[in-house]
Amino acid sequence: MEWITTFLDALSFEALYGGILRFVFPILSLLILGRCAKALLTFQREPEYWAYVVLPGGDRLPVTHWETLLGRGKNCDLVLDYPTISRSHAVLTRYDDGSWSISDVGSKGGVEVNGTAVRSCALEYGDTISLGGVKVTLVPFSREQEYRQAAARTLAGRQIRPAITLFYLTLFQVLTMMQLLFQVKPAETPTVALAFGSLTALQWLLFWAMRAFRRTGYEIETIAFYLTTLGFAVIASSAPGELFKQLLCVGMGLVLFLVVGWSLRDLERAKKIRYLASAAGIGLLLVNLVFGTEQYGAKNWIFIGGMSFQPSELVKVCFIFAGASTMDRLMTKRNLWLFILYSGFICGCLALMNDFGTALIFFVTFLVIAYLRSGDFATLSLICAGTGFAGILAVRFRPYALRRFASWGHIWEDPLGAGYQQTRAMMCLASGGLLGLGVGCGRLRYVAASDTDLVFAFVAEEWGLIVAVLTVLAIVCLAVFVVRSASVGRSSFYTISACAAVSIFMIQVVLNVFGTMDFLPLTGVTFPFVSNGGSSMISAWGLLAFIKACDTRQNASFAIKLAGAGGEEEDA
Amino acid sequence: MKKVSRRAMAVLALTFALLLGLGAFVVRYFLRGADWAVFPGNPHTYSSGILNSGILTDRSGTVVLDATEGRKYAEDAALRKAMLHLLGDREGYIAAPMLQEYADQLVGYNFLTGTYHLTDKASTGTLTISASAQQKALEALGGRAGTVGVYNYKTGEILCAVSSPTYDPDQVPDIAGDTTGAYNGVYVNRFFNATFVPGSIFKLVTTAAALETLPDAASLSFQCNGSFDVEGDTVNCNGVHGAVDLKGALAHSCNVAYGQLALQLGPEVLTAYAEKLGVTDSFFVDGYHTAKGNFDLSDAPNVDVAWSGIGQYTDMINPCGFLRIMGVIGGGGEAAEPYLMASVDSTSLLGDYHAKTETTGRLLDATTCQTLTDMMRNNVQQIYGQGNFGDLPVCAKSGTAEVDSDQMPHATFAGFVADPNCPLAFIVVVENAGSGSAVCASIAGAVLQECAAVLAAE
Repeated sequence: MEWITTFLDALSFEALYGGILRFVFPILSLLILGRCAKALLTFQREPEYWAYVVLPGGDRLPVTHWETLLGRGKNCDLVLDYPTISRSHAVLTRYDDGSWSISDVGSKGGVEVNGTAVRSCALEYGDTISLGGVKVTLVPFSREQEYRQAAARTLAGRQIRPAITLFYLTLFQVLTMMQLLFQVKPAETPTVALAFGSLTALQWLLFWAMRAFRRTGYEIETIAFYLTTLGFAVIASSAPGELFKQLLCVGMGLVLFLVVGWSLRDLERAKKIRYLASAAGIGLLLVNLVFGTEQYGAKNWIFIGGMSFQPSELVKVCFIFAGASTMDRLMTKRNLWLFILYSGFICGCLALMNDFGTALIFFVTFLVIAYLRSGDFATLSLICAGTGFAGILAVRFRPYALRRFASWGHIWEDPLGAGYQQTRAMMCLASGGLLGLGVGCGRLRYVAASDTDLVFAFVAEEWGLIVAVLTVLAIVCLAVFVVRSASVGRSSFYTISACAAVSIFMIQVVLNVFGTMDFLPLTGVTFPFVSNGGSSMISAWGLLAFIKACDTRQNASFAIKLAGAGGEEEDA
Repeated sequence: MKKVSRRAMAVLALTFALLLGLGAFVVRYFLRGADWAVFPGNPHTYSSGILNSGILTDRSGTVVLDATEGRKYAEDAALRKAMLHLLGDREGYIAAPMLQEYADQLVGYNFLTGTYHLTDKASTGTLTISASAQQKALEALGGRAGTVGVYNYKTGEILCAVSSPTYDPDQVPDIAGDTTGAYNGVYVNRFFNATFVPGSIFKLVTTAAALETLPDAASLSFQCNGSFDVEGDTVNCNGVHGAVDLKGALAHSCNVAYGQLALQLGPEVLTAYAEKLGVTDSFFVDGYHTAKGNFDLSDAPNVDVAWSGIGQYTDMINPCGFLRIMGVIGGGGEAAEPYLMASVDSTSLLGDYHAKTETTGRLLDATTCQTLTDMMRNNVQQIYGQGNFGDLPVCAKSGTAEVDSDQMPHATFAGFVADPNCPLAFIVVVENAGSGSAVCASIAGAVLQECAAVLAAE
């Protein structure tokens, strides 16, 4: 027993606390993210019923989306196997107020409503719709049925309670803050305590606000707050003075999250905002081009009143608004020229600013949106090839870009020069092992841009590789959730925008993490929510709103209106 | 919506790429994490450019290096000098491959906990080296350049691996400004990284080849008149030995006999044995890649074949490699591979290391080795004298290796103790010191007796 006493005597309370927490943090992380992932990835995809289409024989086909493609093709939402009906014939659209419309999407046989040929017109229940001569009618799904359906569907958060997950996250935050208090200078103690306290308060405030609106899904926000917590710990360790700035940006991000969410609740509103947002995107980049200041090789910063700001981050949100589209548009205006031009303009501006990392993000997001809208793999391959060629030329003629590629894959050959950042990152990452050296105990913080570009290694060093890998898996979880939700999505607007938003997250993680690992050149792209950077934090929350809007689990999302079960918004 | 939701699967391609890269990185972490953790410059394991490699002791527990933060060498200046080439200097002129080889265990790294330590306790590495034997060897070299190596051919433990000239790393002399030549090649570890002309100790290799390939080798006889002609060139002997058999030829180190024997064996057989015994190989010994020796008879005229069997011509040996051959003869045809690090008591739970004995495999027949042992024992009893070796049944062969014509020859001496309780093989090389046994026998005797005492005390 003597050795135990000797052992304990040799330990300070601080060391013992850190020693135990190294095991607690990965377990808590697994618990928090595991609960969120289970809720998001295993929910029963229960379709929402909105109306019936009655066929000539009397058969009733349920309409399960707000946008429904009618036609003979087997990829249609309602397959009407009549020879006179085109493969893609018409799109049936439901609006927020419960009204309906039908649009001809280039059918051969045409669409008639009550005997009148139409291209697009409003629809009443009971109207006779003739699709290439086949007469169908739209029959309402009664309010009562809607209630019954809503009651029968699984309420989000019923099986895995978000409040308990949030409690674990709060515990995680308190333990993190306490360990940080041992590590930071006494002068920084109040900053750290206040920043973490405020973050915890913000997440509970948002939670209760959602509850007040009877929204019970909170997993997506919990994941974001978890990542933000890690980001706060990184900043507390590397530059505690910047915590308040980051906290302010979380606040602004939450406002953007709510505003984008609000604008998405009403698709008609969203479609109008679309134009505004597209114009804002162009405006932001032009302002950036004119007034921008060069930092770290890229001219993508603007200084206003001592605060620096990256407009290109907010353009991401605008870009998604510009790219998303409803089904009727999707099927009628098939060409993408306007969107291609818009994307080309944005990437061009970014290239002028030397910000190739962000340009790449937009390019990949463009590909995702373009594919979702057109399904045209061949054209996109052509665009990729063309862009790849242009990229090679750019690298060939711009020595600045070339320098970055020069050390790529050869970092260990020049550990004191071009490979300095990444070799330090790998050394520190290895030193952290699977469990980490303890929050605030890292040394990577002394390396330039370690809390932004190298943040994966920063987290691995202090929190361990397990937690670092979990941060990546958290983003992967959001992506899989978005793809799973697509089949029960209400509108292609939501599905496309959510896919685009989560693609931006993923491409950022790919560039950030693989850059650190030397799988790709280091491009200076941030890790969403984790990297130190205000603009990035605000835009990440803005993008999260699109993901939130594709969540059609019962009562899950504030960004879409409630259907039935105590019912419509007005009843609340 | 079905169309769009199917296309949404494309997002999974990005997810897949992300997971694939992440998986590849995790594999890379498990394979290379240890290298990254001890890579020069890691702020967690280096202080001022020096690896924090814990504490190193000799086999008896004497601390020879405390590298928990920076480098603190032994208290005793003589020991600091004796250990310099194994532990390296602070400036990096003399590397310490052994410390680099066990760096991950010494810094307490493992893949699970990284370099994290709950307490301030440092890792401790225990060397097979005996500090007292090192000191004795350096003292016996008396400031002359050269090397002394001793190892246990049953276990593989290297007890002594001294390289001279050396200096005190705590009081670095003005090496660059030295004009006396006292520090020529001071940064070279002569035991692991240098090669020498072997001189007559190479006759042991020639003898082994003869015993195994000539059916009547033991009964061969030679007539030495002080020299013999080979196609117009002369091979000179160190004396006139008259009629000698193989045993007598080895005892007298008769060049005429061995020149003729080499011609009788021919270049192929000689080369085959040199290669078989590892003369031309590099061995990996706890971080060191030993220097390759040389034995090349391609296109050599007969006179050079004769000289090569005597240990001249272009023959080169590495002391550690030749020590291993002595171990093979002493061990009856096979020996343990030499090593330096006995164990590491690491601060990390998964990092402890304990050396395991590995064998060379059978390289020579037991009867060949028995005959060689008898012949080498005869050398000591008849020629070099037992006096230098106390009670130890030492078997040996000396050499006087001609180098440049304007320099004194190197003195070489190699052999082993034929005692199962004290299975030590040894090699001594003293540069430009003249006659082998006269210079080296006393050095070998002193070091072997010290090593024997250390083993007896364990």
